[in-house]
Amino acid sequence: MARLRGVAPGLALGLLVIDLMGMLVLSVVTPSFLSTYNLFVTGRDLSILLLVALAQMVVLSLGQMNLSIGSIGGLVAIIESGLMVRYGWPVPIALVAGLTLGIVCGVINGVLVDWTKINSFVLTLATSYVFAGINLGITHATPFYHIPSEISSFGQARVGPFPLMAAVTVVLTVLLAGFLYQVVLGRQLLAVGGNQLAARLSGLPVRRAVVTAHAISGFLAAVAGTLLMAQLAQGHPTIGATWVLPSFAGTIIGGAALSGGSAPVIGTVLAMVLISLIDDGLVLVNADPFWVQFLIGALILGAVVLGRTRLGDIMTFLLGARRASRQELSG
Amino acid sequence: VALRSSLGAQIGGRLSRSALVRQVALLALLIVTSGFWIFFSVAASGFTSDFNLFSLLRFAAIQITIGFAQMVALSIGDMNLAVGAIGGATGMFAGWVMQTLGLPPEVAVLFALAVGLLLGYGNALLITWTRINSFIVILATASLITGAMLIVTHAHPFSELPDSFTSFSEIGIAGLPISPLVLVMLGVAAALFFLYRNLSLGREMLAVGANRQAARMSGLSVDRVVLLTHGLSGALAATAGLMAIAADHTASPSLGSDWLLASFVSPAIGGTLLSGGLVSVPGTVLGGILLATISNGLLLVNIDNFWITVFLGVVLLLAVGLDRLTRAAGGVVS
Repeated sequence: MARLRGVAPGLALGLLVIDLMGMLVLSVVTPSFLSTYNLFVTGRDLSILLLVALAQMVVLSLGQMNLSIGSIGGLVAIIESGLMVRYGWPVPIALVAGLTLGIVCGVINGVLVDWTKINSFVLTLATSYVFAGINLGITHATPFYHIPSEISSFGQARVGPFPLMAAVTVVLTVLLAGFLYQVVLGRQLLAVGGNQLAARLSGLPVRRAVVTAHAISGFLAAVAGTLLMAQLAQGHPTIGATWVLPSFAGTIIGGAALSGGSAPVIGTVLAMVLISLIDDGLVLVNADPFWVQFLIGALILGAVVLGRTRLGDIMTFLLGARRASRQELSG
Repeated sequence: VALRSSLGAQIGGRLSRSALVRQVALLALLIVTSGFWIFFSVAASGFTSDFNLFSLLRFAAIQITIGFAQMVALSIGDMNLAVGAIGGATGMFAGWVMQTLGLPPEVAVLFALAVGLLLGYGNALLITWTRINSFIVILATASLITGAMLIVTHAHPFSELPDSFTSFSEIGIAGLPISPLVLVMLGVAAALFFLYRNLSLGREMLAVGANRQAARMSGLSVDRVVLLTHGLSGALAATAGLMAIAADHTASPSLGSDWLLASFVSPAIGGTLLSGGLVSVPGTVLGGILLATISNGLLLVNIDNFWITVFLGVVLLLAVGLDRLTRAAGGVVS
């Protein structure tokens, strides 16, 4: 029961209700919301941005941040498409090389944070410039076009309204949740996030937890970059350039604490669904695209301010009251 | 008053322990900067031309002012992620006041500074009211500010700014290749130096940054300090925005979007502690000059702009790494 509450706190329930209401409103106001194509496009954006948010969440669960998610995703997409287009590498090998690079970038972040003890915000801000600079140094801001058709057709593939790439995201999300909630190292990672000193004194492998979290973050960023490359059908140097805000928005609205120790996977998923709905709704009603940025900012503020009056607290209060009355009855 | 002065004495004592290390670090920064000047004077043709020196110093002045906006927030142990958002929005606002309303530049400058001050103050109001982590609050407001600016302006630049405004950044002073913007920056630097060295508000800011809990226990009104600090940071961001539109001759909607790294680099190189409680105004000036010198010089010796981006990232890493070493050597615990 305790574990279940950790996975799906009351906040998630509130987000779920808001998401469902949002879908209802959108399908009434703009019937084209339910069109197969619109659902496909929205689902595809969601598949990519959810990985971006989870990449941030896994580092936030340590009480750290990763500002280099976007530049890792961009660098990986460029390296993969460059290897395939320029050097004619076979698709699987190029993808493995790219994803490995993502993990290596994450490990570099993790090792540097652990070794130098520099504030992870500033450290990953610095490495993000290094990764982005290498990306632009290689490409000179020109994309790699004509990536192999296996990749670009995967970006367009769908089953009914469901994009095929959503399968990748679903599998990775489930694996990440399983790792954080069931695997010893995942639990240790959350323990380190909860109280690093206590974790160190209890003999937990703090360094391994830090490096692992950053490596997972780098890997998820790399997958997100790869999927966006497939969607765009080109290795574009600006891939990932706008990911900082959504990465934090999804996790913070989803209920993560910047101080660490919490990894609200379901909350993050539902928050990203909400952001995708807003994004899609604005497109469908032909609103100024700049409203997206404004509304995400308002949403973050609204969510954290509401979070003070915690829907979750209300839920636990109600549950607690019910349990108390039950105890009273049984007593 | 007694409490306040004893707090000041404690901080003073702590500074004097590490003062030697910090002086040495500042001297080293000066030597490194001079070294780069000598190197580029020899290696990069045109580095010492009046035109190049003029644009280099003007660029440095803007970068340093951006750094000041961040340095002020860092002094109380906060980060102002909205430096770019506020600078961009106030720059666009000033452009609108001059071009659309047709008001004189002096009025636009005053309005823009007031808006910057209010935006920073608004951030701090949200932080102190809600007690939400300042990072999250400012992440959200930065997005709100930039979003609102783009919605209102439809991302159209203001490119017909009055000559009386833009020419201010162009004229040389007494025949020297120095833009008046450099004097603006030096004036701001002198004011900040005085604030942190001589005014009780400056000392209170450092006390809050060094140990917020201890400052509160000593009877400081921490909320008041936070409000004034973020207001000042916003006004400085607006100053940088005004300087940038004067130098660019246009207020562009992308203004400020790339300020985040620069805002941290100059203070970090100059020895300002990211965790708060310790600032160096001369260090930030030198840090900004070093940053501008390297960017300018590398371009002149035909090194690709993209590698300069990599270089800036590495410089920030080295700067904060050295910062930790300095702290260890100076015995400052925070």
